[in-house]
Parts: sequence; C-alpha cells; structure tokens
Amino acid sequence: MIKLHSVTKYYTPTAPVLKDINLAIKPGEFVSIVGQSGAGKTTLVRLLIAEERPTRGRIEIGDWDITDIKSSVVPYLRRQIGVIFHDFKLLPKKTVMENVSFALEVAGETSSRIRQVVPQVLHIVGLGNKADRYPNQLSGGEQQRVVIARSLVHRPKMLIADEPTGNLDAINTDEIIEILKKINEFGTTILLVTHNREVVNRLRRRVITLADGQIVSDEQTGKYII
Amino acid sequence: MTGLLRIIKFSFQDIGRNLGLSLMTVFILILMLLSVNTLVTMDITTKEAVRLVKGQVNVSLYLVETATEKNVKDVQNYLASFAEVESVNVLSREEVLESFRTRHQFSAEVLQALAELGGNPFGPTIIVKTREPGDYRKIMESISETDYDPLVEAKSFEGHEEALDRIQAITTRIERIGFGLAAIFAIISFLIIFNTVRVAIHTQRVEISIKRLVGANNWFIRGPYLVESLLFTIVSVGLTMVIMYFALAWLDRYLGVVFPNGFSLTKYYQSNMLYLLLLQLFAVLLLTVTSSSLAMRRQLKV
Repeated sequence: MIKLHSVTKYYTPTAPVLKDINLAIKPGEFVSIVGQSGAGKTTLVRLLIAEERPTRGRIEIGDWDITDIKSSVVPYLRRQIGVIFHDFKLLPKKTVMENVSFALEVAGETSSRIRQVVPQVLHIVGLGNKADRYPNQLSGGEQQRVVIARSLVHRPKMLIADEPTGNLDAINTDEIIEILKKINEFGTTILLVTHNREVVNRLRRRVITLADGQIVSDEQTGKYII
Repeated sequence: MTGLLRIIKFSFQDIGRNLGLSLMTVFILILMLLSVNTLVTMDITTKEAVRLVKGQVNVSLYLVETATEKNVKDVQNYLASFAEVESVNVLSREEVLESFRTRHQFSAEVLQALAELGGNPFGPTIIVKTREPGDYRKIMESISETDYDPLVEAKSFEGHEEALDRIQAITTRIERIGFGLAAIFAIISFLIIFNTVRVAIHTQRVEISIKRLVGANNWFIRGPYLVESLLFTIVSVGLTMVIMYFALAWLDRYLGVVFPNGFSLTKYYQSNMLYLLLLQLFAVLLLTVTSSSLAMRRQLKV
C-alpha cells in the first residue's frame, strides 16, 4: 500500500510543485498518472523513490514511513522498488547480463543465486540471447526491456515506470506495456507515469490526473482527459 | 567479504573498460611524481654541494709563541664547549713549522728568512670548524671577551669574515628557494591530481546516479574508485621509481666529476628506497583518495 498524506513539495519558496496530494494505492493495482509537462508527475516519482523529501505531509510505502528517511537507508528502499525511466539509465560499460546482475550484487545476493536468476529474467523479457551485448548494441525497445529485467530481478512489490515508452516507437511501446501488464498480473503494483493518451485509454485501469501540482481526477477505469 | 570481492571486481572492470582514461590518469600521476622526484634530487644535490662548501670553511686561531700546552688545552676545551662547534683541532708548534716549510718548499727566499730567524718562530694553531658559517662570528667574539684573548696572536677569521658571511647568505637563500619550490610543487601536484581524479569521476557521474537508483549504498559506489586509486598509486609510484633509478644512474656519471667525495644519487636512493617509496605511496594515495572523496561527495548525496 502506498499512501500520501497531504504531501506538498516546494523547490522555490513561491511556487509549489505538488500541493496537498492525498493518495492511496492498493497492492497489485495498475495506476496511470497522467498530466501535462510541469504538472508534478516526475516530482511525485522522485518523492516515492526518496530522491526528494516532501516539504510537508507524509509518505508511506507498506509499513514504512519514508517522509524523513535517512540517506543511509535509501538504498534499502530502492531495492524494494523497481524503477523504469524513459532514458533507460543503463550502465553503458556493463553488458546486459552485468547490468541486471548489478541490482542483485548491490543487494548482497549470492553469486550462485545471481547466476540462476538473471538468465531466467532475461529470458522472460526476450533477451536471453543478447546477454553479452552492451547497451549501445541494442535497440531502444531492447534497452527498455533490460531496464525492466533489472527492475524485476529482485522481485519488487512495486514498479514505477516514468515515461517508459517516451523514447519508443508504437510496436516497442505495445511490447513494453504488455510486459508491464504481465508483471502486474503476478501481483506487482505498477505506477505508470505517461503522456501517451493511447496507452492510457487502452489500459482501462485506474487513472490519476495531475494539473498544476494537484490531483484533478482519480478514476478507477479512467481515460486520458487532458 | 563478498561485497569487498565485488568492489575489487568492479574496479578492475572499470579500469579495463575505461582503459584510455585509466592510462591517462596513471600518466599524469607519473609526470607529477617525476616532477617532485626531480625537485627532491635537486634538493639533495644542492644540500650536498652546500655541505661540501661548508666543510671546506674553518677558522684558525694562531696562538702566541709562548703559549704552554696547558694554555692550548684550556682554549681547546673552551671552544669545544660551544654547541655550535663541530670540531677543534690543534697543530703543535712543530706541526705548524713543518706545514709552513712544506707550503714554501719551492720558495728559497722564505726558507732563507726562516733559517735566519733561528729556532721555531711559530706558536701553536687551533683550527675551529662550526656547524654553520654564521656561527664563527659568535665564537670569535666570545673568545675576545675571555682571559684567553692575550694568548691569541691572530685569527684567520678577520680576513675571511666577508667571504663567510657571503657563503652563509648564499646557502640560506638556496635553502629558502628549495623550500619555496617544494611548496609550489606540492600545491601544483595537489591541483593536478585533484583535477585528474575529478575529471575521471565527473565522466562517470551518470553511472554513479544509476548505481544509486538501483539501490547501491555509498560504499558500493565509492569502493571501486578507492580501489582504483590504490592501483593507480601503486603502478605510478612503481614506474616512477624505475624511471628515476635509471635517470639517476645516468646522472651519477656526471656528478662524480663535481663531487670528489664519492657522493652518488643512486646510492642515496638505494639507501632511502623504502622511506621514499612509502612516503610517495602514502602521499599519492592520500591525495587521490581525498580528491575522489571530495569529487564524489556531491554525486553521493541522496
């Protein structure tokens, strides 16, 4: 369960980026967060992965109050959450296999477990035969699938996808959304931040719309309304 | 333990996959170390040259002909009691006479005059050597204020006073210049290393942010850079020592002509090898680790 209680975030003292956000997301939900540029979507993601702290209000993930989370504890939080970005954020000097393994290595998983799990996850995202390639040797869709594999490999309860299809063509977009839907079917909560009207409308899942840092609509089977 | 092994694995991976940057870092470290070593070599050579000049300076006290052995012993003990005095040697009347004869053996007129005087006209001579040329004035002034003054017929100090002052001024200036150069080089070296490491880390700032995003703690991110710093330090110091050894062996052939006392830079480096090696390892490691820690501080903020 993700809960935001009256969360407000200021970067400058005059204009809040998020204003009094109250939100509850149940485990296993697939939620799309939509809104125009500057609506506060990315700030919301940054708050959830503790890259930023709220100016006011409280954030809870499960039983964990991360409002004033200590810097030393942040890595443990991030090992519980999978994050996907539109610009992939893959380590360019590591192979596909090493990129995915890295998420487990930093979490202290044993080498034998890593050798067992990583090929399986790469197979699920359809990259079993490209494990030794470097990111620059892959297409955009393939790179995003590596990111998904990296996010999934430590079995997170929540996956945050910030514009995951932003840099992809229509075919790759469909593939990525299908993978996200499958992951959701296995019980992982998905938080999809997107601009893509078509994707949101086709999903027919919960849609939260942000405008000027506030929630202007929250519908269980919503559409892209802006 | 697994974490440490992974950190070491990542650091070797980073070095191999950023080979150009790694080689450039080592190259700059070697250049910096060679500059410092050149300065150290110059300092050692200068100090040896100054020591050689200082060693050739002494002052003689020519005592009166009537000075007894007890008088000589008393003056000798008095002079030896000064902390500034390095050695006090006495030449007896006979030794002074013999020395005079040897010095003037080709001058028949001088030897003729000596024979006409009959007997030994010389008194004993006390040769004083101080640690610093600047100390002679103090010693000579203090002996003038004692009861021993009537025993002293003449001092060689009077004639050499100006020269001694000049030697003192030159050696002091050389030492100050050496210290100033060392300080400037130390600052330049720090800036070079700091910027080299900073550039190396700056180029990897995106990777650092990605590592943070996937849940790597600060030690997992910082660790490989520290191990790399250690490896770069060992390689650069090792290569610098090898280069310096061959350079000094070449230089020694020319220094042998200047220093007749057998002074050799290679021998100096050999006898101080462990000290120089550890000092440089420690200094470069401290610099690289401090630089990388400072450069990473911003990137590691969550």
